Amino acid sequence: MKIAYSHLAQHIEENPCIEQISDSLFQLGHEHEIDGSIFDMEFTPNRGDCLSINGLLRDLAVFYKVDLNQEVFTEHLNELQLDFENLSKNICPKISFLKLEIDKVPEIYKGSLNDYFEDLSLNKNNFFTDISNYLSYETGQPTHCYDANTINSKLIFHELKKNKEFETLLDKKITLKKKNSVFSLNNEVINLAGVVGGKSTSCSANTKTVIIECAFFKPEAIIGKSVKYDIQSDAAHKFERGVDPDCQDRVLRRFIKLVSEHANIKDMSIISHKYKDYPAHQIPVNVKKIGQILGININEKVYLSYLSKLGLVSNKGFITVPSYRSDVKTQNDLAEEVARVIGYDNIPTSEISIPKNKNTSHKDLEDKLRFFLLDNGFYEVINSPFVGFTAVEEAIKVDNPLDSNREYLRTNITNSLIENLLFNERRQKDSIKLFEISDVYSSSNGIKKKRKLSIIASGRVGENYKDFSKKINKKYLEMLFQEILPNKAFDFKIISRELLDTKIKNEIVTLEVDINSFPSDILFYKEASQAPKNFAQYSPISDLPSSIKDISYSIKDYSKTKELQDLLLNYKSDIIKNIYIFDYFKNEKKEEIKIGFRFTFQSKKATLNSAEIELVYNDIVNKSLNISGISIPGL
Amino acid sequence: MPDHKDILPPKLVRDRGSLHPINHIKDSIMELLTSFGFEIVDGPEIETEEFNFDMLNIKKSHPARQMHDTFYVENKSNLLRTHTSPVQIRGMLEKKPPLAFISGGKVYRKDDDATHLPMFHQVEGIYVDENVSFAQLKDLIYKIIYSLFGEEVELRFRPSYFPFTEPSAEVDILSKEGKWLEILGCGLVNPVVLKNCNINSDKYSGLAFGLGIERIAMLKHGVMDIREFYKSNLDFLSQFK
Repeated sequence: MKIAYSHLAQHIEENPCIEQISDSLFQLGHEHEIDGSIFDMEFTPNRGDCLSINGLLRDLAVFYKVDLNQEVFTEHLNELQLDFENLSKNICPKISFLKLEIDKVPEIYKGSLNDYFEDLSLNKNNFFTDISNYLSYETGQPTHCYDANTINSKLIFHELKKNKEFETLLDKKITLKKKNSVFSLNNEVINLAGVVGGKSTSCSANTKTVIIECAFFKPEAIIGKSVKYDIQSDAAHKFERGVDPDCQDRVLRRFIKLVSEHANIKDMSIISHKYKDYPAHQIPVNVKKIGQILGININEKVYLSYLSKLGLVSNKGFITVPSYRSDVKTQNDLAEEVARVIGYDNIPTSEISIPKNKNTSHKDLEDKLRFFLLDNGFYEVINSPFVGFTAVEEAIKVDNPLDSNREYLRTNITNSLIENLLFNERRQKDSIKLFEISDVYSSSNGIKKKRKLSIIASGRVGENYKDFSKKINKKYLEMLFQEILPNKAFDFKIISRELLDTKIKNEIVTLEVDINSFPSDILFYKEASQAPKNFAQYSPISDLPSSIKDISYSIKDYSKTKELQDLLLNYKSDIIKNIYIFDYFKNEKKEEIKIGFRFTFQSKKATLNSAEIELVYNDIVNKSLNISGISIPGL
Repeated sequence: MPDHKDILPPKLVRDRGSLHPINHIKDSIMELLTSFGFEIVDGPEIETEEFNFDMLNIKKSHPARQMHDTFYVENKSNLLRTHTSPVQIRGMLEKKPPLAFISGGKVYRKDDDATHLPMFHQVEGIYVDENVSFAQLKDLIYKIIYSLFGEEVELRFRPSYFPFTEPSAEVDILSKEGKWLEILGCGLVNPVVLKNCNINSDKYSGLAFGLGIERIAMLKHGVMDIREFYKSNLDFLSQFK
């Protein structure tokens, strides 16, 4: 909600600057950003009472002298003769109607009404709707204006329980479905209560006679309607969070005052229906409890003075909660009010000592498995559980998926890992080892949970001269697991590539197994890997294509081998992503070492052309050939 | 030719894998909290409305319960938990105070953009004992934040609102760029929640807190787009060894 600094400041005697008010608002828990002289407020859902100038001023009264007494029309009003019936009094326990007739529609707005449109750069609509919108901003109470000439028969408020077409005053046609609280006229819906009015009875630029409806609707009846029908509604936002059940007549009298500042009122009358009383909520004064909750020493006098600044007044041992603060009900609520006044940051800390608990190592087995896999070059991944159609009958269907193509919960992890593998293969990865540990759910006579480990591997065993030529296959993985669990057989599977969108032919091996089925022998595994001690700073990765260049050297002077390695493995270039030794062979007979280096070229900025790669490649070659006793066969 | 029998082959570099950065951060926080005395408890990701909302004082009318915020499954008979708090409810129903639980794991909400995902991770904690106060909660939060971001970090407590805590607070840290960043939510357990778990709220009080792991991982690792964590890109994952 956008609120102009000047609209607040004009009611504050101390005339604080925008930064001072901003600090005060943060202390009170009203998060916001400042855009020029406008506060862009974000209120917590329990503080519907703050969704207005007056609401914020009531809170700011903690810090400043605030004048909240905007002028209202105070004289006697005749009773409005309006044929109205309320068939859902539990949803709308209070409602008032004001009928006004003016002689001429004003062309120019004055005072606070003008400031509202000017300072917030808002578009005007029509005179009565503009006042209604301004009043909602000033008081937090939405009102709805009907062109009085269109209200020509009995007006009925009721809960509609069947489908009905409705055209909003924003020219949007919607079909009301299921339960909706509405106002109807001649059996037609003319207002979706608390959300948006209808086109057929809306005011226009020519409207001179208006009926203003000002009601209290139960939040439960309004919640979700604006989202359901995709209608941006300030009124719904306020009713959903709860308006003051005791302000309707005062707001209508303020309405009259604002109209009278702009036009001559020819006639006016009012009718108020109250079906339920809202007695003030009272909470016993218990300063000791407040001190316990907050962990501070506070005396009663100070405590009560803090609350009185927020309109929470004490009388005969009870705190009376004003009607607009429906969120304050308990001692904990009062403690929060006191804490806001003191400032959360000003409450001193008190050392906490939690009794030590011994049972904290439930994940030992899982962790051993994770580090065993890390030691063998596997990367841990986490996948979303949402998947497309599955033939598995037990798969759980999401009633309201974010993506209709992913409306089931996965029943296995392997399929996610296959997607991960293909994703990385498309990025020219030729050695891929991944694993995921996750709960997997299914439904068959109730929801069933299984905690599973799934692994997938394909391509080269590793990027080093020993493993470069070895391809991952079922046997490789079986041997890997046999080393740590010689007595357990695992059901490794080979995934056919026939149905996969890929031309790569490397064998894909997977394993999916219940964590609970692992024998406790794994607990004796001595891992080499460790969790990182530091938090590495991420360097953005490139999705651009990469190129590979291999250079194979012949070294006759063995002593130069290390010099060559140091040069090449530490070679720096913006376009080199990876360097490793893929081949090493010492030929005793020929007294020659053959060593091959693989360079992966990739830019983060643009796809590399051959000239850019050649430039770096040639530099590598030239620098390496400066080392005596080294040659590149075939060059 | 010189004799080079002692020439060793190049060092054999075998690639080690890496923990997923989200799991690493989650584990680090859980380890820290267990060192404070918290016990780890686990619970299901598919929950009932009763445990996910009702027991936590989240009213039927609360917007979070709407279909546009919560994933429901099996004809609305269950839902994907929107926070890890129901695990604590289950813990409180099983054990009597004093108790100190933490739970961590996946949670689900209907969001999808550069800073929100339909699946993300939380770690939440609860401590119930006699005379647990807001001042003690602040002490605990300082300890957590200092452990995560160092003692030089500046933090602030802001009043906030959660149906299950009262008073409630959100905690921000000041970034190097001078911007306040929300790190966690916390508060004193609403007595209604204690009563729902058959705990005498006149005798006992509690504190609770919750951290979004992705937010902390993004800050700690300098990752700008939350979606990067879940692409399973080896170029990304290999940076977190």
